[in-house]
Order: sequence, then C-alpha cells, then structure tokens
Amino acid sequence: MHDILLDCRGMACPQPVITTREALEKKPSSVTVLVDNAPASENVRRLLEKSGYASGLAVEQREDSLWAVRGAASCAVCAEAEAVIEAAGERASRTLVFLSTDTLGHGSDELGAKLMANFLATLPELGANLWRIVMVNGGVRLASQPGRSLDALKKLEQNGVSLLVCGTCLEHYGLLDAKQVGETTNMLDIVTSLDLADKIIRP
Amino acid sequence: MLEQILADIPVPPDPEGRIVHGFSNNEDAVLVKSPPAGMVLVQTVDILGAIGNNARLFGQTTAANALSDVYAMGGIPWSVMNVAAFPSPEKPEDAPLSVLADILRGAMEKVAEAGAVLAGGHTLDDEFIKFGLAVTGAVDPAEAARNDALAPGDCLILTKPLGTGILATAIKARWPGFEEAEAELYRWTTRLNAHGAEVIRAMKLKAATDITGFGLAGHVLEMARGSGVSVELDSCSLPFMEQAEELASFGLIPAGTYRNREHCSCRTTVSESAEELRALLAFDAQTSGGLLLAVPQERVQEACERLGALGEAAHIVGRVLPLRGRQEQLVIT
Repeated sequence: MHDILLDCRGMACPQPVITTREALEKKPSSVTVLVDNAPASENVRRLLEKSGYASGLAVEQREDSLWAVRGAASCAVCAEAEAVIEAAGERASRTLVFLSTDTLGHGSDELGAKLMANFLATLPELGANLWRIVMVNGGVRLASQPGRSLDALKKLEQNGVSLLVCGTCLEHYGLLDAKQVGETTNMLDIVTSLDLADKIIRP
Repeated sequence: MLEQILADIPVPPDPEGRIVHGFSNNEDAVLVKSPPAGMVLVQTVDILGAIGNNARLFGQTTAANALSDVYAMGGIPWSVMNVAAFPSPEKPEDAPLSVLADILRGAMEKVAEAGAVLAGGHTLDDEFIKFGLAVTGAVDPAEAARNDALAPGDCLILTKPLGTGILATAIKARWPGFEEAEAELYRWTTRLNAHGAEVIRAMKLKAATDITGFGLAGHVLEMARGSGVSVELDSCSLPFMEQAEELASFGLIPAGTYRNREHCSCRTTVSESAEELRALLAFDAQTSGGLLLAVPQERVQEACERLGALGEAAHIVGRVLPLRGRQEQLVIT
C-alpha cells in the first residue's frame, strides 16, 4: 500500500498514459499524475478510471499549464476484505477495532497504557470475528513502541488480523521508520474499512 | 542507388497511353494527355508522416488517402506524382533505402488499382519519413460532388468505420494488442474510396466529402458551414473499428482529436443523452477515412443498396437540418 506521484510534464500523448500504466503495475493504493496539457489530463483520467483507480478520481487544474490527476484503487480494500472473509470460511461478521490513542480510558496514562496492553492481549477472545484494527493519531504509537501492546499486536497480525496504521499520523510523530507491525495506510482505506465493518469497537 | 531502387518498382500500367512523354530518360517534367473533352481536372496533394510499422501498407495508405480527395468529388484518378521525404541512411540503425522502396511499391499498387498513371515524383533528404502523392483526377463539372451542397432533409452515409487516430496512438504506445490494432488500421486505411465515388456518379449526388484530419464531426461542420445548414450526428450510430472504443477508454486518444473538438466547440452542441466518449470519437482525426455521402431521404435505400452491391459499408450517421443558431450548427445526439 503506497501512494505514488508521477511527473509527466513535458510529455506528449500517449506518453503520460504509457508512464502511468507502467506505474500502476506496482499496484499503488493511489496515484497522482502531473501533466502540462489538457488532452493528457483527460487521457490519464480515462486510464485511471478504466484501471480501477476511480475512487476519488479528480482532475484539478492548478496553473495555466499544470493539471493534477488523482485516483485511488477503488476496490483494493474491498477485494482484500473479501479474500479475508473467504479465508476465514464462515465468518459471522466483521469486527473492526478503532484505536485513536495508545491508552485506555481517562485518569492515569500509566494505568491507561497497562489497560490498553491488556485490551489488546484479550482481543483474540473475539475469535474469527475480529477482522481489522485501525490505528490513528496517538494510536500509531502502539505499532511503533516496544512493549506488551506491540507484542500483542504482533500476535494478532500473525493470527491473520489485518492491522492498518495511519501514514499521516506516523509521519506527524516521526515514527515512519519505527513502525513494526501493520500496513501504512491512508484515509481512503480507513474510511472504506469503517464502511465495510459490521461492528466497530472504539475503546 | 535510389535510381536502381526506383527502377525495380513496378509502375502502374498505362494502357491508354496517357503519358505522352515520360521520365525514362531523366526528363524532369512529364507530358500527360488531357482527360476527355468536357471533363475538368480535380487536383489535390496529401502527405503523411509514417503511420504504423509496415512500409508497404503505409505506402498503400498514403496513396488511398491522397486518391480519396478525388473520389470525394466523384472524380476518376487520372495521374499521380509521388512526393517522398526520407533520411539518407548513414548509420547501420537508420532505415535502409529498401524501406522507401517498399513505401513506393505499396503506393504504386494502389495507384494501379485506381487506374491512374505515374507522372513522376520527387524525393528529398529529410529528418523524418514522410510520403504522399499529388493526384490529378477528372470529373464532369456538372456532376462533381461538393462539400458545400448539403440540403436539409439529406441523410449522411459513411462508408468506413472511425478510429484510425486511436489505433495509431495505441500502435505508437505499443499497447497490449497493438499488432491486432495495426492489422485493423491498415485493413481500412489501405482501402480505396473508388466504390463510393462510383455511387456519387451513378446517383449524381450533390454533396460529399472524405473524412480525414478534422474527424467526421470536423468535416461535417465544414460542410454545414459551407452549405448554410445545421447537421445532427447520432453518436449511437457511429461505426468504430475493432478495439477503437476499448483503446480510447484507456486514454489512447491523440491530442489532435481533442484539438478538433476544441476547435469546433463554439458551433457544436453535444446533447446530454450522448455518451461522452462516442461524442469525442466523432472528432477522432482519421487517416484515409471513408466517404461521407449526402443522400436525399427518399433515395437512402437506393444508396445503401448500391454501396452494398459494390461490397462497401453504408452507415447512416446523421441528417441535415435547416440552419439553427450558431451554437447548434453541429448537434451530436
């Protein structure tokens, strides 16, 4: 899962389409293509739409001769979710756990950190229903800082639970390189996951 | 070297002796017999950059493309002159002169098929390969079809599908399936519009044109302006070459096609019901496209039957309306 930026300025048609198509072979989660003429912007838009990057598809003219064409993999997350469901056989429902801090409850952060570790260590009790854990804001520390919480997350991942870690948040806290579990993701995947889930737990 | 190559290429036959004094002894100009009394000359020149990767079929395409201007007026090709630009081969990776020979061979095959004779030509050293022909045809001036003689009530019949701009772009991009696209492209571009011209003469049609660089919609708008009428094109009825729509949906659309649409935009209305891509492809720049025949409503069936009997396609793509507002000189539904 990654985003890519392609600079196709100075290229005549059909080169921007060829360059974008080659980049899509790496299956990025989203792509932004810069072009310097209107026909190229329309052609790249058509390619993205046709190639399954129709989610949030937009052509934005930024300057007289600068267009940004953006699109995200519309079905990557759904397809992945379907595959998980299939692998799990008769999964009753999809439960998603949404973690926006690294502590549980208010009062004492020290206590909150312990409770969070216990919470994560107990999640396997949900069984096959536990589908995905999404970590945002302070929650991304759980995926990056050594400790019982990280160990619990690693175990969950090994058991086939999908872990999504917000890339913007990792960047904000300077933890991009420190992340040890889960996939770095974007808001589109997060929103799609929330939509796909049958039940959302927000401790 | 070049002379040797030219000498090996079969020259179109001249059974009537139209060439009175030829270029065999390095004469720089050629004496050509006039067409029969009462006929006038139709003159045209058309030169193309390389299209596709097959020299002989490119040669055939350029000849069919140049001859088409004569056919569009209902004319009969009389004589042609070749115009070739070719980079002198200096390095091993340069295109050898045999490529030029193949282009000429292909062109001469089509000139022979058209029944015209070769009245010479000119080759120059240039950076890129270009080839074309200056064509002289003959036509009875009272019966020549024109591009400014549309009348309200006429139906518009197209004799070849659209899509050469798309296919040529896919070939240039070496897009998956481009070999099939190339075969489909040449299948249509090498086809003479001779049968369409026959029908123009037989039915004494007043208005026709051939579809080339401005695309169907661009040429139709030219006709509408010249004739002081409006024209409606039905996007659902537009015929496309195999793969053309699919490749276009991937964005393999030449900049020229978008330019054509832009150029015509102030006189064009695209109705909301028209599919966006089809409406755009109405502007796809064509190489050696078909003829567009304007046929009075009551004679449409006759025209389709005549074209069919000659093995020619007949697609009814639109109709001529009385002049509407400037913004509605071309309406795509």
